[in-house]
Amino acid sequence: MSSLRNAAKRKEHKERAQPAARLSRHGLLEKHKDYVLRAKDFHKKEATIKHLRQKAEERNPDEFYFAMEKARTRDGVHLAPTAEANKYSQEELRLMKTQDIGYLQLKAQTEAKKVERMQQSLHLIGAPAANKHVVFVDDEEEAEQFDPAQHFNTVPELLDRSYNRPRLEQLADARATSAGDAAAAAVARIEKKRAAAYRELMQRQQRQEKLGGLAQKMAYDKEVMGKGRKRKLRPEEAGGQTGVFRWKAERKK
Amino acid sequence: MKGGAKVVVEQHRHAGVFIARGKEDALVTRNMVPGESVYGEKRIAVEQEGGDKIEYRVWNPFRSKLAAAVLAGVDNIHIKPGAKVLYLGGASGTSVSHVSDVVGPEGSVYAVEFSHRSGRDLVNMAKKRPNVIPIIEDARHPQKYRMLVPMVDVVFADVAQPDQARIVGLNSQYFLKNGGNFVISIKASCIDSTAPPEAVFAREVKKLQEQQLKPKEQVTLEPYERDHAVVVGVYRPAKKKEQ
Repeated sequence: MSSLRNAAKRKEHKERAQPAARLSRHGLLEKHKDYVLRAKDFHKKEATIKHLRQKAEERNPDEFYFAMEKARTRDGVHLAPTAEANKYSQEELRLMKTQDIGYLQLKAQTEAKKVERMQQSLHLIGAPAANKHVVFVDDEEEAEQFDPAQHFNTVPELLDRSYNRPRLEQLADARATSAGDAAAAAVARIEKKRAAAYRELMQRQQRQEKLGGLAQKMAYDKEVMGKGRKRKLRPEEAGGQTGVFRWKAERKK
Repeated sequence: MKGGAKVVVEQHRHAGVFIARGKEDALVTRNMVPGESVYGEKRIAVEQEGGDKIEYRVWNPFRSKLAAAVLAGVDNIHIKPGAKVLYLGGASGTSVSHVSDVVGPEGSVYAVEFSHRSGRDLVNMAKKRPNVIPIIEDARHPQKYRMLVPMVDVVFADVAQPDQARIVGLNSQYFLKNGGNFVISIKASCIDSTAPPEAVFAREVKKLQEQQLKPKEQVTLEPYERDHAVVVGVYRPAKKKEQ
């Protein structure tokens, strides 16, 4: 009977939440299901420690291991086996570096492509102006009397908004400047999405710059590892930079 | 409308140019050939009150100097609905297609491009747009296409050549009406890569003045382009009356 009951999947009963009064006093309390997970984990660790302790206590100091055949001491101190220092030759290392550089360049390229695609429809509209605008006038008198608002035929408040300064006639026609109240509500809603898009664009640009720089640095390191007579420049020779080399000019043909 | 409008399009200072504010943040022009992209640019359809749809095409300022100048806050581009424009350095016709959107069916764009390779794209684009007249010729020799181009209202030049000012002056002599306007994009490194960009721009402005092209304003195109400027001015302006 009990086997039959085990075969049929039983409904999983969920534990109810704490009553509001207790919840406010104690905060969120641990459910039994979570407690079981925590307890199991704790006991597993406990058992492991116990097992290791037992092994250490019962260790036989006279037991033979094959590793003992290669083990050495220096001045009575046991030498820990170390990884082989020069496992790879210079040429192999160079090849591996080529692959790393290739991967970094690929990733930088991917980011560049994504940046380009995002920039297609994110035109930095409303960003603080980074450019210069020069207006040519006929004489000094005109330059002194120059009034930007009058020149651009707009209101002074809009002078800083270089991406779009509607003319006075356009401002008088309200339809030109705003697309209605419903549109205003929509703008507030999509503003958030746009801000997120600009954030992503900025992060991708930074990532692309970093990846590109790293690939370039690695390529230089690879060149340094390669053939050709070269000399390491002193920092004062290399304009304060360290790790700069100069190759001896070599006739190719 | 379900979920409300996804994008809001507002008019720009310059007629025929709009700004779309949605998830994207873009300069757009009204598509003259709805349903078609010219160079794979995004299109935005907006439903009007009446229920009919208007389609806009995104005008990328990172690719077009004219779009960058518009966003940089230039006072006047003179390219407006109904205008006749001589466009020197049309390349593949990406920017030309937007100028064609701006001038509309009443205006016309004469796009001059020397390279056959990009000229092919230009011609293909012009097949769909009746107001674009592609001309595959060297802009240094306007006499070769004088039979194709009438007097125009605006000359736009993006040729990136050291003798750009001379090219524009020559074409203006042939085709630009008195009191017509010119818009020139100057790439400092193409004219003199050793001098500082400001000096190069000043020198070019001097050269323009010698050709009776009177500059009115100059904007640099950061952050869209580095060391670029757009100069806008007027050709043979009418003398000011003494007051």
